[in-house]
Amino acid sequence: MIATALKWSRHNLFGKPFDALLSIIVIPGVLWLIYQSLDWALTKAQWDIIPQSLRVLMIGIFPADQAWRAWTAVIIIAALLGAGLGCVFAFRSRHAGFLALVWAAAAVLTGTSDLINLLFMAAAVAVFAGGWAVTSYIPASRRALMAASFIGLIAIFAVMSPPGVGLWGGLLLSILLTLVTAIVSLPIGILLAFGRRSRFSSVRIICTAYIEVMRSVPLILVVYWIWILMPVLAPQWNLADVARGMIGFTLFYSAYVAEYVRSGLQAVPRGQTEAARSLGMSEFDINRSIVLPQAIRVVVPPLVGNVLDIFNTAPLVFIIGLTDFLRAGQMILANPQYGDRTYEVYSFLFLTYFLVGSLITYVARKLEAHLARGSR
Amino acid sequence: MNTIVEMKSLNKFYGSHHVLKDIDLTVARGEVVVIIGASGSGKSTLIRCVNGLEMYQKGSLMVDGFHMPVEADRLLGGERELAAIRKGVGMVFQQFNLFPHKTVLENITIAPMRVRKKSKSEAEATALTLLDRVGLKAHAHKYPGQLSGGQQQRVAIARSLAMGPHLMLFDEPTSALDPEMIGEVLDVMRELAADGMTMMIVTHEMGFAREVADRIVYIDQGSIMEIGKPDEFFENPKNERARSFLARVLKH
Repeated sequence: MIATALKWSRHNLFGKPFDALLSIIVIPGVLWLIYQSLDWALTKAQWDIIPQSLRVLMIGIFPADQAWRAWTAVIIIAALLGAGLGCVFAFRSRHAGFLALVWAAAAVLTGTSDLINLLFMAAAVAVFAGGWAVTSYIPASRRALMAASFIGLIAIFAVMSPPGVGLWGGLLLSILLTLVTAIVSLPIGILLAFGRRSRFSSVRIICTAYIEVMRSVPLILVVYWIWILMPVLAPQWNLADVARGMIGFTLFYSAYVAEYVRSGLQAVPRGQTEAARSLGMSEFDINRSIVLPQAIRVVVPPLVGNVLDIFNTAPLVFIIGLTDFLRAGQMILANPQYGDRTYEVYSFLFLTYFLVGSLITYVARKLEAHLARGSR
Repeated sequence: MNTIVEMKSLNKFYGSHHVLKDIDLTVARGEVVVIIGASGSGKSTLIRCVNGLEMYQKGSLMVDGFHMPVEADRLLGGERELAAIRKGVGMVFQQFNLFPHKTVLENITIAPMRVRKKSKSEAEATALTLLDRVGLKAHAHKYPGQLSGGQQQRVAIARSLAMGPHLMLFDEPTSALDPEMIGEVLDVMRELAADGMTMMIVTHEMGFAREVADRIVYIDQGSIMEIGKPDEFFENPKNERARSFLARVLKH
């Protein structure tokens, strides 16, 4: 064991004089940083602020006695995510242990001791596994996923709206914003991608212009524009800030989805379309049943990466006055009583973003490997 | 009506490049016409015009009783006639072009179900009969990627036949195959010819051409140089370039 470790470091850390020099400088530096961080995290930091302000971090100023509504939303989200995963990854019983680990990690990380919260968490994990298993074992159910996603979103809106849409906030808002944007921008992006290849130049020009304009301006500008424009364009709708933010994000990210999908469409060989045409199939049938499924297969990994992009840019909604996860953390710190807990709160935010982000990256990488293996 | 394809001074251009020059060709029902020529001579383009995968600019083309619109008219809504023609004309490609995300059975049933509005059970029954005919019934539930090239090409033939075509186009069906698999595909085509299917075949398999063709069409630089009975054509070609082409391809 020690011999192999020595051999490994001899080859990898001290192989050449320059390597050795770098290792001598870097390794003690890294060790010192780790020691300092652990020392602070384990002895000096006062973590009690996290469980105390957990509700604000998770759901913002959403009323505490309405928390069951937020939990219902979380459970619907869990079911949709699980079902999405099952379309490409088969559920196996060994995954159950991994899911239990996720539940335990969430419990430890949030430091919650509330039995009801722990039970709801367990329910969400169980529903996630359920959705995963359904699409794994019943292939026919996969076709219903897009429709189920939209129904799920509507259900979430229905259950979350009664206390007031303006009260949505925290990590749940970040996740909802990501989910709505990811789900709604997919069909819009697909239509735009096909529009950009249309035979009709009017359609082609409009779609190309839309995509290029959206891709050449900053997200924050689009979100802000929609926020100030919606009341002018549709005053009778009286749209809430949250809805306007979601519209802005969706309009912006649809252009990116369109470009990913278009690259997938270009990857489908011409012979596929020619064969379908020579069988007398209509252009609509060809695009829907022959071209699109093959194109989507190619672009699933970048599309998952796009979801991570959406999640990581979600904090920008503070510009229109929304309280997302990051903003909720800052709100807690605005309370003078917690003024000295800046590092604890930001560490928690960092860790949570890092965990969600790495999970999405991990899934994207697995998907890429999985799909590369499946294609011939 | 005995004629299924009638080309009258058909011309095709790629930009300024004149690909097909004043083609006059008539194919009768039940006839097997083999088109040969050097690569780049326009023989593939010629049969791709028959089902409208390539557009032509001048002349006229009748297929199966329908008038194939010229390029300018297709852009102005000639698509309905095109769809009618394609329903009755099957095509087999050099690269097979099976749909990789669908099983063999789904590959064969999708067009009859979508285009001819057949029920799933009816389409599957037909598909299994056809698979049996090309000797691949046992592979119905495999994906194309799991089959050899020769098997894939036989599936592609079955897929075309499932639409009940009046005319089959073959665009170099054996050119992408390993030598040991060419025979199994040619056998299927021989049977089709014997059953009376009308076929237009582009191929480099000269022995096969001579055996199954009713007529050979020799094309060079976009023009038909000679049309004749196989025996006459191969024994005693009248055209100078046909003679040198045959000398080149029959040497080995």
